[in-house]
Amino acid sequence: MLKLHNLSKVYRTDEVETVALNSVNVEIASGEFVAIMGPSGCGKSTLLNIIGMLDSPSSGDYIFMEENVAGYNEAKLSNIRKQNIGFIFQSFNLIDELTVEENIELALLYHNIPASERRERVAHVMDKVGIAHRAKHMPSQLSGGQQQRVAVARAVVGDQAMILADEPTGNLDSAHGQEVMEMLQQLNEEGTTIVMVTHSPAHADYARRTINLFDGHVVTENLRAAE
Amino acid sequence: MFQNYISVALRNLIKHKLYSAINIVGLAVGLAACVLITLFVRDEMSFDTFWKDADKLYRMNTTFNVPGREPFVTVMAMGPAKGAIERYFAGEVEAVTRFNNEWPVIEYDNKVFSEEVYFTDPETVDMFSLDVVAGDIKQSLNDNSTLVVNESFAKKHFGDKDPIGEVMTLTYYATTRDYRIGAVYKDLPHNSVMDFRALIMIDEADFENFPWEYGHWFSVNNNIFFKLKDGVSIDALNARWKDFTDTMMDVRDQIEPGTNPSDFVTFSSQPLLDIQLYPAGDGEMKPTGDIKTVMIFSAIAGLILLIACINFMNLATAKSTQRAREVAIRKVMGARRGQLITQFLGESILLALIGLVLGIVLVEMALPVYSDFLGRELTFEYSDGTTLAILLGLIAFVGTLGGFYPAIALSGFQPSRVLKANKSAETSGSIMLRNALVVLQFTISIGLIVSTAVVYGQMVYGQNMDPGYQKDNMLVIRNVGRSGMLEQQEAFKQEVLRMQGVNNASLTSGRPADGNESNSSVEIPGNPEAGSILLGRQGVDHDFFETYQIPFVAGRAYDLSRGTDGTPSSEGAKEGEVLQGTVVVNERTIRRLGFGTPEEAIGKVVRMGVGDDVQADLSIIGVVPDINFQSLRQIIRPEMYVMSDSWKGNLTINFNGDAQALLSQVENVWKRMAPTVPFSYEYVDQALAEEFEAEQALATMLGGFSMLAIAVACLGLYGLASFTAERRTKEIGIRKVLGASVIDIVRLLIWQFSKPVLVANLIAWPLAVWGMMSWLETFPYRIDTWLLIPLCLFAGFIALMIAWGTVGGNAAKVARSNPIKALRYE
Ligand SMILES: Nc1ncnc2c1ncn2[C@@H]1O[C@H](COP(=O)(O)OP(=O)(O)O)[C@@H](O)[C@H]1O
Ligand SMILES: [Mg+2]
Repeated sequence: MLKLHNLSKVYRTDEVETVALNSVNVEIASGEFVAIMGPSGCGKSTLLNIIGMLDSPSSGDYIFMEENVAGYNEAKLSNIRKQNIGFIFQSFNLIDELTVEENIELALLYHNIPASERRERVAHVMDKVGIAHRAKHMPSQLSGGQQQRVAVARAVVGDQAMILADEPTGNLDSAHGQEVMEMLQQLNEEGTTIVMVTHSPAHADYARRTINLFDGHVVTENLRAAE
Repeated sequence: MFQNYISVALRNLIKHKLYSAINIVGLAVGLAACVLITLFVRDEMSFDTFWKDADKLYRMNTTFNVPGREPFVTVMAMGPAKGAIERYFAGEVEAVTRFNNEWPVIEYDNKVFSEEVYFTDPETVDMFSLDVVAGDIKQSLNDNSTLVVNESFAKKHFGDKDPIGEVMTLTYYATTRDYRIGAVYKDLPHNSVMDFRALIMIDEADFENFPWEYGHWFSVNNNIFFKLKDGVSIDALNARWKDFTDTMMDVRDQIEPGTNPSDFVTFSSQPLLDIQLYPAGDGEMKPTGDIKTVMIFSAIAGLILLIACINFMNLATAKSTQRAREVAIRKVMGARRGQLITQFLGESILLALIGLVLGIVLVEMALPVYSDFLGRELTFEYSDGTTLAILLGLIAFVGTLGGFYPAIALSGFQPSRVLKANKSAETSGSIMLRNALVVLQFTISIGLIVSTAVVYGQMVYGQNMDPGYQKDNMLVIRNVGRSGMLEQQEAFKQEVLRMQGVNNASLTSGRPADGNESNSSVEIPGNPEAGSILLGRQGVDHDFFETYQIPFVAGRAYDLSRGTDGTPSSEGAKEGEVLQGTVVVNERTIRRLGFGTPEEAIGKVVRMGVGDDVQADLSIIGVVPDINFQSLRQIIRPEMYVMSDSWKGNLTINFNGDAQALLSQVENVWKRMAPTVPFSYEYVDQALAEEFEAEQALATMLGGFSMLAIAVACLGLYGLASFTAERRTKEIGIRKVLGASVIDIVRLLIWQFSKPVLVANLIAWPLAVWGMMSWLETFPYRIDTWLLIPLCLFAGFIALMIAWGTVGGNAAKVARSNPIKALRYE
């Protein structure tokens, strides 16, 4: 699916230079479920953003589906991203002024999909994540777990091959957290590649592989023994 | 506590520089525009209020009812009316006076010149409280050889000398007399409809042979004012004008048997205090204003202020949502709702106060230009208590308006919710309100753009209207009918015709756009039922049609070689005799007379009086199109172009080549031939354009203030756009993550601000069309009503472009920013 080769990211603010990622080499195969762990500030989100093409690396290569996208401009990245990648955030990031349905539909809005088909697909994913009965509600009327389910629905409604989740359970209690993890697991079983940042070892256990980051370096990669 | 508020208020101002600047500048510009307009309006309303008996003074206006034509109104009346009022209204009227201007030739200190002088009656002194600085004005106006002048007249001709006792020799009509300066009065202020620089007592004996000035009942030359006795109601007097007309107007021998003078003439009284703002007709001492203009500009002042207030309110509510946290913490600390409201109102009023100070600075900066444009010295008096009270009241009002909604809304926040959710506390209600206000602002702006465009369009249309004759390269020399030149005007014309570059020249009674009302009644011989028909009349010579390049619809022009052409002179004719002659008329005349087609009209005869009991049968030899000689602002009347030896006052020159060179040649000849007559000229195209000067000024002022209104509205929109973008950063970030491109985002934001502008168009168009259509009604010749449609579209387009330009830059900036920043710190 993707391959990072000697990839580095350096943030330059006025005087300080922060090396967020330092010569990272990671390969993720299609259909994998990968967890990224590490202490706060070690570069997890940066890595995820670069994988998600929301940010560009300072140096190194990023091969995404046989294409080196490291030097691509924003418009090109945006195009690849919307075809292939879905996002789930810790703070849900739903739009307060739109209903559940509209929030999910948003992910299809920029894909040139006719309205009738959009409606169909939205209804389908809402069923799948179990929030169809809340279709007309506003995000503020939902619990955190329900909001995150909407976010998951939004991430997959466009048939994205890969989902990037940055601490998707960070704002949820354990019961709701588990619900979301089960949903991700199910998606993975259906073939979606999932890359997830988490602080919870229990949730990392859902993944088949864990990448441990420290200070911008990949320290270890543990493969979970096949069951 | 209070100090804490002030310091928080000031800190807030400084922290939100953009917000503060937009709010202060917008309010300052709005207030400045409002103050400038108010100065103009107040000045217009102040006209003639300074006269001691202003409320008892009235002017007699005259309306002529001419069958088949619009009634013709003049603010003048006839000389004999003074005596008639004194006798008929002896119980109601205390005094009556006349004003009648002349330009006598004056000799003083071996110099010859001409000045405008008003002949008046001695009663003027008792009616108008003139500010006399030297001499005895009462005595002076009771003496037929004393001149009363104002200070600038005295200064101009006598310098630092004591003017009293100086002697000037005046020549007018048949009179040449030495006049002693008997009194000097202070110049009349600009805010008076009265405008005279010198006064002389009317001695009717001097005008014995010129009875049209003070003797004739069918000749109007005087502005007649009368003063009511104490306790008399003007309504009672007004009710008796008709009877007055029939009792006092001694014209039985001049009108048809069986008719009354009141069938032809209607008198009315106009309060002196109304003259400036309610123009009644022709013949004012100087151009007046118009209540419509005053109302239009008062409305604009109100609207601009409204736009500025809306900005203030909109920005304040938008910003208030960002302060939810401060409010919540204050509440947790125990602030009561009342205290919070006080705080927000206070901040708002402080901001408004700063806006006021800046606004006053702007007014002071703009006043010189503004005064110059209006042609009158306007000053802004702060010291006067009412102005100050009004301004401070305004600030309190604006500040309260701007602070009220946020104060109520913010102070009502639930602190727990705000602190926990930590999100924008904007309610859908406040967003709706804000959108409605933006719609209102743009409705006003679009309405103003449409109005400006229509007024401007009508002005351009009027100025470029084809009057039906040549108007370019036409020079009119005036005063050729004044004694000194009158006797040699034909010789003067011949000299002019010999000059290089002169194609033709014609002597006429009137000149284009002079609005002159001269009429003659005619009868159709052999058709008594037609009765007597009043036709407009222009005195011309045989070169008239050639000089003005007026084509003929039928027939021919006057031909000198035929001795019989034109209207014969009554000289030497016997009483009751009917002479023979010819006449050229316009198309309306033959329609009025029922003479069929122009071709059929040729050879038909009208009978016109040419002297005491002498008539002439004039056969029509030519028909010209309906040309607009009288005024472009009036409907063309049935008009005869009479060639006779009657008085002519203008020489029109059709020339080519250098106008300036020709003018100085003509002036040289003039100076040689008639050194005592002032040389005065105008160009036909300019005279026609000047007819629309008022519209030009209106268009300029409307344009200027519309621009201000739009600028203020845009300031507000800009502020709102930046707030909105800030509020929507998260949403924009999400959309970008989901694949929205920069263009998608810019389109989203621009569309958000286009909606209110589009709605505003839908509201503004019908309003503007309705308003401008009724404005256009006042012009007989006006731009096509359908033109309003493209003008509306144009205004809408402009407004939309301005709105886009205002929010576009900001939207692009927001759309380009990296979404992860927006999503990161939630
Ligand atoms: N936009 C940025 N500008 C400057 N420094 C940044 C930026 N984003 C992240 N960093 C820095 O890069 C490092 C890695 O950050 P991040 O990837 O967010 O860590 P994590 O998600 O593992 O907590 C941190 O030191 C952070 O301060
Ligand atoms: Mg992180």
